Amino acid sequence: MDKNQIQIPADAEAALPAADTKMGKFYRALLKRYPIWPVIQFFMGKKVPEHKHSAWYMLGGIALFFFVIQIITGILLMIYYKPGQPWQSVNRIVMEVPFGALIRSMHHWSANLMILTLFLHMFSTLFMKAYRPPREGTWITGFILLTLVMLFGFSGYLLPWDDLAFFAVRIGVSEMEKLPILGPFAADLARGGSDVSMETIGRFYALHVVVLPLLVLALIGIHLLFVQIQGVSEPDTFAALPEEKKKYRRFFSDFMIGEIPVWLFMFGLLIALSAAMPRELAPEANPMGAAPEGIKPEWYLLAPYQALKLFPGHFELIGMALMGLAPLVVIALPFLDKEVPTGKRGELITKMAIGGLIGFLGMTIWGLLS
Amino acid sequence: MNYPVWNFPILGGSLVVAIIAIIHVLISHLAIGGGAFLAIAEIWSNKISDGEKVRKWLHKFTTFFLVYTTVFGAITGVGIWFSIQLASPEATSLLIHQFVFAWATEWVTFIGELTVLYLYYYGWNSNSRGMQVFLAVAYFVIAWFSLFIINGILTFMLTPGAWTLDNKEIAWGFFNPGYTPSLLIRTLIMFLLAGLAGIMIATFIKDDDEFKSKMIRFSAKWVIPAAVLVPVLTVWYWLTLPESTLKFYEAGIVGVAGGKMEGITRFFWLAVISGALVVLGTSIAAWKPKTVHFSTAISLLLIAQVGFMGAEFFREMARKPYVIKGVLYSNALWAHKAEDKAYMNEPYLSHAKWAPKVQPMTLEHGEWMFRLQCATCHTLDGYRSLTPRTENWTPSFGVRFLENLHEQGVMPPFQGTLQDRAALTSYFMHLHGNDTSPGAVLDTYEKEEKAKAEAMNASMKEAQK
Repeated sequence: MDKNQIQIPADAEAALPAADTKMGKFYRALLKRYPIWPVIQFFMGKKVPEHKHSAWYMLGGIALFFFVIQIITGILLMIYYKPGQPWQSVNRIVMEVPFGALIRSMHHWSANLMILTLFLHMFSTLFMKAYRPPREGTWITGFILLTLVMLFGFSGYLLPWDDLAFFAVRIGVSEMEKLPILGPFAADLARGGSDVSMETIGRFYALHVVVLPLLVLALIGIHLLFVQIQGVSEPDTFAALPEEKKKYRRFFSDFMIGEIPVWLFMFGLLIALSAAMPRELAPEANPMGAAPEGIKPEWYLLAPYQALKLFPGHFELIGMALMGLAPLVVIALPFLDKEVPTGKRGELITKMAIGGLIGFLGMTIWGLLS
Repeated sequence: MNYPVWNFPILGGSLVVAIIAIIHVLISHLAIGGGAFLAIAEIWSNKISDGEKVRKWLHKFTTFFLVYTTVFGAITGVGIWFSIQLASPEATSLLIHQFVFAWATEWVTFIGELTVLYLYYYGWNSNSRGMQVFLAVAYFVIAWFSLFIINGILTFMLTPGAWTLDNKEIAWGFFNPGYTPSLLIRTLIMFLLAGLAGIMIATFIKDDDEFKSKMIRFSAKWVIPAAVLVPVLTVWYWLTLPESTLKFYEAGIVGVAGGKMEGITRFFWLAVISGALVVLGTSIAAWKPKTVHFSTAISLLLIAQVGFMGAEFFREMARKPYVIKGVLYSNALWAHKAEDKAYMNEPYLSHAKWAPKVQPMTLEHGEWMFRLQCATCHTLDGYRSLTPRTENWTPSFGVRFLENLHEQGVMPPFQGTLQDRAALTSYFMHLHGNDTSPGAVLDTYEKEEKAKAEAMNASMKEAQK
C-alpha cells in the first residue's frame, strides 16, 4: 500500500453503500485518496423538518435556480452585447441572433421571478420566525442579498439603452440625488456625470456583470454555509413535538432531488412567460426627448416610490428618512425578537410584519394602478 | 357578418377561449388516459399479492379522478362552447353544420363516459372484480372514442385537406392529413398525464415508503410511450402542416416585433422543452421515488400544463390568418368572398347585420369597423393590442396599410371602401389623442396620392423628353 493512501474511518465504512456496489467502490476509492469524510459528514448533516409548511423551505433553492439561469442567459447575452453600442447590440440580439429574443426574455423573466421568490422567501422566514438567534447571520446576509439582487435589476435595466430604461434610471438616480450630504456625490458617481449618459452604461455594466455577481456569489456561499452549520430552522409548533414524532428529510440528497422537478417547472414557466410575453425593446434612448408617458420603476421598487409620494414637497426628506429606517428595522429584527417559543413581543412583531406586508402589497398595487 | 362580435376588453375573445381551452385540454386528456390507467391497474391488482392495497389506493385515485374530470372537465368544456360561439360565431356555425352527427355522437359518448364512471366508482364495494375491470375498460374505450371524434374536428380547422365549400365531403374533412398523427400524439400524451396524476396520488401514501415507491414507479412507466414515440410522431405531424405555418415558424427564429406571427416559434419550443422537462422530471421521480412529495408531483403536472399551452397556442396560430385554413378568415370573412372584388369594395357596415346604423365618416363608424373587423383577435390595450401598434400612424400610412393588410400573410384582407379605411384610421389616430376626422384623413390621403401621381407624370414626361 502506498504511504499516501488513507485509512477509511470506521464510521464511514459503516455508513457507505456496500463495498461490492458501484457507488460503494466509488466512495471507497475517493476516501482512500482524499480525507474528505468530515466534509461529507458535514453536508449529510443538514436535515429538513417535515411538517405541513415544509414546501416553503424550497424557496431558497428556487431563487438559487433562477440565479443560475441568470448566469447562463447573462453569459449568452454578453457574447453579443456591446457597451459601446448598447441599443444597437441589443437590437441585434433581438432581431438577428437566432433565439436571441427568447434568451433575452428569459433573462428578464428569470430576474423578476428571482426577486419575487426572494420576497416570498423573506416573508416565509419572517412568519416562521426563522430569523431569531442564533440565525441572525443568515437573516442579515439574506437581506443584503435581496438588496444586491434589486441593485442587479436596477443596473441591468439600463443596459439595453432604450427609452424606457433611460428615463426609469434617470428618475431613480435623481431620487437618490435628493438625499442630504452624500446624495449628489453618490448620484454623480453612479451616472459618471450630471446626467445619465453613455458614461453611465460603462459603470452599470461593470457593476452588473462583474462586481455584483462576485458579491452575490460570495454572499450566497456564506448564507448557505450558515444554514449548513446551524441547520434548517424549526417552527415553534414543530420544535414542541416529542422527539419520536419529529420527522426529517435529509437535504442531501432526498429533499434536493424532490425539489428538482419544481425547478424544472420553474424553467418551463420561464419559457412560457417568455413565449407569451416577450421582453420588447423600446426605441433607442433619446436624452433630449420627452419621457414616455406613465413611466415608473419596476414593480419591486414601486412600493418605496409610491410611498414617497405621500410626502410632498419639503416632507420628502422625512419620507426618505422613514424609508431608510425600514431596512434598518428589518436587519434589527433578530435583535428585537429573540423569544423561543414566541412570547408576547414575538406575537406583536408578527402582527407588525403582517402590517408591513399589507403596506408593501398595498403600495405596490397602488403604484401599478396609478 | 351574420353575427354580432364579442368585444372583450384587455384579454380579447380569442385569449378567453385559449385560457379556458388550455385548462380543458389538460383535464380532458387526463380523463381519457386515466381510464386506461384504471383498467390496467385493476388487472394488475388482481395478479399481485398486495392487490388489496393497490385497490385501496386506486379508490383514492378514482375519487380525485371523478371529481376533477367530471366537475372541472364539464365546466371548462361548456365554457369552450360559450366562448367560441361568442368569439367566432361564423366558424362555430360551420363546424356545427358540417359535423352535426359527429357532435351528437361525441355528446352521447360523454353521457356514456359519465354513466360508466359513476357505475365504476359507486360499485366499488358491491361489484365483482371482473365487473370492475369491465367497467374500467368500457370507460376507457368510450372516452377514447370521444377523442377519436373531436380530433377530426380540431385537425380539420388547420388541415381541411380535400374538403372544400363546394364538395363538403365530411369524410375528407374529418380524416384530414393531420388526423392520424394528432390522434396518436394525443393518445400517448393521455397515458403520460394519467401517469403524472398517479404519481401525485401516490404522494398521499404516508408511512409506507415501499408501497409509495412501488406506485410511483408503476405510474412513471406511463410516461415511457410518449417519451419514445411523440418525438417521431411530431415529425409526421410537422410534415402535414401548411407551408404558411412553416414560414411563420422560420420567421420567428429571430425577432419579437409585431406584424409577424413570431410567437408561433416560441410556443413550439415551449411544447418541445416542456415535453423534455416532463420526461426528465418523471425519470428522477422513478429513480428516487422516496424523495417525491406533493410539490414535486404537482410540478410535473404543471409542466405538462405549460407544455399544452405551447402546443395548443402553436396549433391555433398555425392556421392564421384563417380560423379554418383556406376557408374562413379569423375575422369571419369567407375566403371565396375575399376574391370577389365587388363584394370586398362594398361599404362594410352594409354587410354587418347587427351593427347599429351609424353616420358614415364619423368616429363611431371607425369604432364599429374596429369592433367588427379587428376585435376577434385584437384588443385596444391588452392582448395583441392595437393602440401601441398604431402609434405612428399617419392618415396616408393607415389608409394604405389597411388596403394591403393581407400582403404580409399574417392578417386577413380588409373589407370595405376607402371611406371605411379612412374611418378606421381616424379611429386609431384618435386613440393617441390625435383628433383628425375621417374626412380629414381621406382628404390628406387623396391629396398625397394626387401629388404622387402628378410627380410620377412629371417624371414620365421628363423621361420622354
